[in-house]
Amino acid sequence: MKRGMFALAVLALFVGSAYAQGTIKIGGIWTLADITGKQGSAAAQLAVDEINAAGGVLGKKLELIVVDDEGKADKAAAAVEKLATVDKVDVFVGGMASGAELGKIPAFKKYNKVVMATGAAGSATVEKALGPSPESDFYFHLHPWDYNQGASYAEGWNAIQQKYPNIQIKKIFLAYEEGAFGKSSWDATKVLFGGDKRYTIDGASFKSALLGGGDYTAVLEAAKAFKPDLFIWAGYDADALPLLEQSKAMKFSPGIYLGAPPGWPIDFGASKLSPNVMLYGMWSTAMNNNNPSSAKFFKNYVAKYKEEPATYFAPLAYSAVYILADGIKAAGTTETTALVKALEATKYASPLGETITFKPSNIIKHQGITRQKILQWQNGEQQVIWPFEAATAAPVYPFPAWK
Amino acid sequence: MNRTASRIFALLFGVLAVTLPFFAGDYPLQVARNIMMYMALAITWDMLLRSGQISFGIAGLFGIGAYAAILSVVRAGMPAWFSILFAAIFAGGVAFVIGFLILRLRAMYFSIVTLALGEIFRIIIHNLHDFTGGPEGVVIQKGVVFGGKANSLYWLVLAGLAVAVAASTWFEKSKIHFALTAIRNNEVSAKSSGIDIFRWLLLAFVVTSAIQGLLGGIFVQSYGFATPDAVFSADFTLLPLAMALLGGVYSTTGPIFGAVLLGLVSEWLKLKIPYGHLVVYGIIIVVVILFMPQGLRQLVRRTPHGADGRSA
Repeated sequence: MKRGMFALAVLALFVGSAYAQGTIKIGGIWTLADITGKQGSAAAQLAVDEINAAGGVLGKKLELIVVDDEGKADKAAAAVEKLATVDKVDVFVGGMASGAELGKIPAFKKYNKVVMATGAAGSATVEKALGPSPESDFYFHLHPWDYNQGASYAEGWNAIQQKYPNIQIKKIFLAYEEGAFGKSSWDATKVLFGGDKRYTIDGASFKSALLGGGDYTAVLEAAKAFKPDLFIWAGYDADALPLLEQSKAMKFSPGIYLGAPPGWPIDFGASKLSPNVMLYGMWSTAMNNNNPSSAKFFKNYVAKYKEEPATYFAPLAYSAVYILADGIKAAGTTETTALVKALEATKYASPLGETITFKPSNIIKHQGITRQKILQWQNGEQQVIWPFEAATAAPVYPFPAWK
Repeated sequence: MNRTASRIFALLFGVLAVTLPFFAGDYPLQVARNIMMYMALAITWDMLLRSGQISFGIAGLFGIGAYAAILSVVRAGMPAWFSILFAAIFAGGVAFVIGFLILRLRAMYFSIVTLALGEIFRIIIHNLHDFTGGPEGVVIQKGVVFGGKANSLYWLVLAGLAVAVAASTWFEKSKIHFALTAIRNNEVSAKSSGIDIFRWLLLAFVVTSAIQGLLGGIFVQSYGFATPDAVFSADFTLLPLAMALLGGVYSTTGPIFGAVLLGLVSEWLKLKIPYGHLVVYGIIIVVVILFMPQGLRQLVRRTPHGADGRSA
């Protein structure tokens, strides 16, 4: 009896080991209570399922193990430790908030495994904490840094004014949430739009509804008095509808009304307040018409989860897994040095409407996407206005006066 | 639990805490660090509560300590060790000054002012952008203390916890205990017994604030950054409070029990229910506080005669 048990135990160990050898483990860390993390992790799982259905990578199945970072530095650090030492993952993917990412960085550096980061735009802290090459070479940052985003907006508005001469912008007002995200948006706006004196810039902060605020009267009064051609608010999805409601109540209708939250409320398009509101983002369902990769992602996501992706973090995370899989195929291993070299040669035609490659940014060596898009809510759907090569509609201008 | 059993339990707990890095991996050590950080904060909250004063200012003093530590390193080149001590001294000093203003207040007035102070500290840090980095925060570019070694970081947090436990025990075993308990029970009779109420309250407020600042310093040295959102997070007020209430107030052991239990449950739930664990966690806290308002310690120390085992 004892011998039989021993044999079974050895067999179980052998089978477990053989199974482990047949799997490439990806450790995914997101803030799962947030829509960006919920849909980002779901999209990453979709990519894993698709890759496995197509035969896997190097004859092995991919396995995604997701841990919630709760948006906190200490929980994020514990997530890295768990995935690295208990699950023994080969690579990492995920991320959104810069504060949580900062908690992961010391542990990422300790394990030196490849990280495909889908968030964390705060260059003043995250990029600085990563440090220059070679200490940060394991880190591939897919999402644009805050200064990348600012530069792409400046480029986009210049291009739009050239193409549509009826759109003329002289005065820009930025209403920004008082946290790190809003403040970095304000700093970037001042430098990129106000630097050459071409535009007159003003701005004021507000407390986001997400963080217990929700009264925008002061900031909207300041904006209305400034009479901007372009009004931008940088906050969170919870601010979208209350800001519009209060703008309507105050009859504040600038030439362009633009929101720049990381994600929009799921039913925002169905709101009567949504038409012609512009936004910054990376992806919209309208891109399914002219981008086969986007159409495939959208169709499979809806089929699997019975809901539409409402944030660009979903196709971003989906792309991250495909880029990792392609890199591992090319490298023939998950060993960091070889995989980093393979990933440096990445050319991935993403659902986001651009081919992703990695180039150096201000500090790190591997920066992926550097451009955001300018979009507009039209008939309940986000339409791409710029870049023109990905455009799905012409802009509706000006933002209509409130009735 | 009799006194001998308590001592044996405390000794075993202490030995386990000190030797954990010799047999646990980096993940359990990281979880233990998180738990010990909140445990130490819960103990300091309880220490002041023993005087009857309910503070909601933990996050404010933790954040002040965190910024004192990181700015002393980044702006003044102070070594990591000194920056942690400086954080404690700075937070204690701030508490000493504001203590003169707010320790005349009682009950909810004191609680609301401590809550507001935390928010004021956060707003000040936000707006001193050139010095503090503003909302984007500050990073220690040379990295975290001890090169990020899990064992050393664990012992660093354990040292912070040891300071909190030692101070709490001192409060329990010395005449401070009688003074604070008398103030909590009836200020008029305490005063008529010759107790200098303001002096004892100020001592408790300064000591607990200094330890909260010390823990803030340890936090930033462990992660290498500080942002207002991270170090002034309401979690640093609400979780210690829930832990102390769950374990049982007016003691050192209550917050320890509560922190271990809530910390482990939180981590376990996160792994078992990745989507939605926070809802379950919240429900557990509400249910326990509703049905066991005197905490778990009440169960352990309950006698056949119905005494609830609270410290006098």
